[in-house]
Amino acid sequence: MRKLFYLLSLLVVSSMLLAACGGGTTPTKEPAAPAEPASPAAPSEPAAPAEPAPSALKSKDPTTLVIASFGGPETLDPALAYETAGGEIIQNVYETLVFYDGEATDKFVPQLAESWEVSADGTVYTFKIRSGVKFHDGADLTASDVAYSFQRGLLFGGYSGPQWLLAEPFFGIGVDDISIVVDGEGACADDRECLSALPAEQLVAACEKVKSAIVADDAAGTVTMTLAQPWGPFIATIAQGWGSVLDQDWAVSNGAWDGSCDTWQNFYAEPSETDPLTTIMNGTGPFKLESWTQGEELVLVRNDNYWREPAKLERIVIKYIDEWGTRFAMLQTGDADIVAVPSENRSQVDAMVGSMRVFDLAANTYGPEVEVCGYDPSKQGVEKFIPCEAGQTSSNPIRLYIGRPSLASQDLFMTFQIAEGSNYVGSGKLDGNGIPLDFFSDLHIRKAFAYCFDWETYISDVFDGEAVQQPVLARQGMPGYQADAPVYTHDLAKCEEEFKLADLDKDGIPAGEDPEGDVWTTGFRLQALYNQGNTSRQVVSQILSSNVAEVNDKFVIETVGLPWPTFLRTIRAKQSPYFVSGWLEDIHDPHNWYQPYMVGTYASRQNMPAELKAQFQDILNRGVAATDPAERQKIYEEANKLFYEQVPTILLATATSHGFDQRWVKGRLLNPIFSGDYFYTMYKE
Amino acid sequence: MTNYIIRRLLLVPVLLFGVTLLIFGMLQLLDPDERVSLYIRGDPKSDAQVNAFIKKYCLDCPFYIQYKNWLLGTVDTVTGEREGGILYGNFGWSKTGSQPVAQLIARRFPNTLDLTLWAIGPVIFVGIWLGVQAAVHHNGIIDQVARIFSIVGTSFPTFVFGLLVLMIFYANLQWFPPGRLSDEFTRVVNSDQFTHYTTLLTIDSLLNGRFDIFLDALRHMFLPILTLSYISWATFLRVTRGSMLETLRQEYVVTARAKGLPERDVIHKHAKPNAMLPVVTLAGFTVVGLMGGVIITETVFNYPGIGSAAAEASVQLDVVTVLGFALFNGLILIVANLVVDILYAVVDPRVRLS
Repeated sequence: MRKLFYLLSLLVVSSMLLAACGGGTTPTKEPAAPAEPASPAAPSEPAAPAEPAPSALKSKDPTTLVIASFGGPETLDPALAYETAGGEIIQNVYETLVFYDGEATDKFVPQLAESWEVSADGTVYTFKIRSGVKFHDGADLTASDVAYSFQRGLLFGGYSGPQWLLAEPFFGIGVDDISIVVDGEGACADDRECLSALPAEQLVAACEKVKSAIVADDAAGTVTMTLAQPWGPFIATIAQGWGSVLDQDWAVSNGAWDGSCDTWQNFYAEPSETDPLTTIMNGTGPFKLESWTQGEELVLVRNDNYWREPAKLERIVIKYIDEWGTRFAMLQTGDADIVAVPSENRSQVDAMVGSMRVFDLAANTYGPEVEVCGYDPSKQGVEKFIPCEAGQTSSNPIRLYIGRPSLASQDLFMTFQIAEGSNYVGSGKLDGNGIPLDFFSDLHIRKAFAYCFDWETYISDVFDGEAVQQPVLARQGMPGYQADAPVYTHDLAKCEEEFKLADLDKDGIPAGEDPEGDVWTTGFRLQALYNQGNTSRQVVSQILSSNVAEVNDKFVIETVGLPWPTFLRTIRAKQSPYFVSGWLEDIHDPHNWYQPYMVGTYASRQNMPAELKAQFQDILNRGVAATDPAERQKIYEEANKLFYEQVPTILLATATSHGFDQRWVKGRLLNPIFSGDYFYTMYKE
Repeated sequence: MTNYIIRRLLLVPVLLFGVTLLIFGMLQLLDPDERVSLYIRGDPKSDAQVNAFIKKYCLDCPFYIQYKNWLLGTVDTVTGEREGGILYGNFGWSKTGSQPVAQLIARRFPNTLDLTLWAIGPVIFVGIWLGVQAAVHHNGIIDQVARIFSIVGTSFPTFVFGLLVLMIFYANLQWFPPGRLSDEFTRVVNSDQFTHYTTLLTIDSLLNGRFDIFLDALRHMFLPILTLSYISWATFLRVTRGSMLETLRQEYVVTARAKGLPERDVIHKHAKPNAMLPVVTLAGFTVVGLMGGVIITETVFNYPGIGSAAAEASVQLDVVTVLGFALFNGLILIVANLVVDILYAVVDPRVRLS
């Protein structure tokens, strides 16, 4: 009996192992092997070049595009949507006056506007509205619809949505919400009750101001928009989802703002809970919303009455699937055409890559599709993928897009004046067991930290080699970008030199020579925070920590993980000595980057000194008001120089793209400023 | 008995009140500046947005005002409409589900219930049957296999087993896809041609005479049921087997055998009912667990039930939704406890409910 017991155990265990192997090997199948199980007779042979691979790469249903994603939209109302999941749907169902020219982030083509003119002083934009365009419910597009949509957006206001981006050009720099127009100070920002209690004539006046700034002429088919000042990024701003055009009659009949200046306050800062347009859509775009089962799936169908040629795809099904393993299985079976792949799971899909398009930084576009015949996981970045020899093809089903710098970034912000009560500054004094609260006010300390950071290790460890050091705040393809701008590099000698130049006891003698002792002789101790689970933020501090300790063993940086709510509170309270945080651009324009970093959200969390802020503010005011790209380039280069010299923030790295789709997916426009995909040009084989 | 049930039912609101106080009170351990990040999705782009949320949800108000607002909601002075208030059935807005929490529960719960109904058979009855067999054939082959099986079953994490069968039966064989229904049938179910009588998809598809939809729904539930069964059999098997072995050693069983009763009667009429007491408790809690949503199984197989929605809400720190689910789970637990108590009395006449 005992023997039988062991025999059975062995059987069960071995069958489990077999099953585990069977499940485990599937994803890591050698890329050279064909899709069928490899023949054991010829294990070392490369893929047979004679086999016409693409014939096997046909989709199950070429009319329907299936995307396996996670986290669905918050709202489908273009006036309120401020995240990419909703943005993707909006950009395919609604349309804007102007839109991006293909894959360019800085060139625009007319869409619902046939053409537009700008006055000589750059403040009046006149759009000629396209005729013959119909909404999905059959109504005609009119100039009034356009004006209504923009007026509704501005009056909608609120800081949970994107309307601040439109408010500034119409009301002027700093006036980023309609509530500021009403009472001059925005005391009722985001508070409908408070706003409604204000005198009626103030409310009506604010609304009239909006209406006089955006005027429709239905007879002439034009909409005239008058800005408060010239605004360089205006066209880029209205090309995004929040510039979408709604059908006024449809919106009003569904319970949205009725267009009256007496009632607008009832719709101010409306949350998606009560917003009637949260789940319904009626646009002019190439696709119509068929259904949205929140948290499960969203289905779009082709608009056959589209004003251009109808789209090639008939249906788009976006499934929201949280579990990566499930999404991966759908990619393997071919049930999903595009799958969201978290970076930690990339290697599983990398092994299935059969072709790739590598981004060409100089040309600012993806190169042609190259067949991939080998995969070497020991390498980093694009070198992992071995292109086929001439005449060879791969039967692997996945296409890889690699190497395009993203439009988001994580950077290291130093707090000039740390708030009282911080638990992360040790003793709070220059005694070797803490840091004074104005530690980072010393320019040399900031420079020393910059020189002590090791970009190479960071990019290699966190991004597996797939990132680039960001030279300036501006991204490629926008005024202000300078690929050859001076940058800080990993240089421990200079780091040491800067620490020795610091003068934290403010006696006028640099720390390296101070006989009474300064930071170089006393040392320091601070705690660097990251939110738990955010490994990349953790690694940033660990790199700094080991490098400053190498320069001087009295320099101690302790890395402390906090739960997200506590982390956010600490940063907002300005109690963190420095913090790593991220920005994702809203529009592809330098103003959207320089504003938060130099004077806005981050500058205030850093407690940046007023003089420095004023210097930045002056440059930014000139930059945003200029409309000539060459002039703007010059202005923002000035900002770059000051930013580099003053180094309030260490610019870390920008990840580069690493995305996948099935090779039968064609015609995909890869514009990084898009929210997800633009389905109009796409088709399947 | 009736008295007992009425008294227990009257206790339900009191218990629920305690549950709400506990759940809501725990949140107050965070200060307003921390709690606000539970109401914002992701990294806030401006501090104005953060301050607006604190103001909107009255996060810096005293506890009793926040609790009152949560229970009764607030009346918008502009529109005169009541916003929120769980006593009015308004559990708030789920930012991860982009719909009211009550609606999210109402949409997801039937799916979970459907899965539970189909899983009870395989999960509980097969588990019990295996346990009885193992005890009856004590130290026999069936017993040995069952013991190995239960060791492996308890030590095999659900998500590993789930992903394994997903890889085999979906990625390789393509027999049992994840999700709730195939796309073609989803369109039918969402259209006017399909009447939702009970909101339980398997039953509705039969009532609509759509056997193909019924089979498709079962096909999608096969792997979740298999996974649930596999992980719960181990427990049922061990509990049933242990309890059964103990009962079989009792003197009245010996007496029954000595009287010359057929072995089948000894086991099924005399021993089994008495061995079932601990199993009933276990079964009660298993059903509660299933109805409350099986988070890992639903997530792995992308089954749109309560569990996967709760998981998504927790991961994204969507506190409004998590509170709603916690309350709903509390309700299920209280009701299920009552049912288990009553079942006790049915199974064991010695238990007097008073």
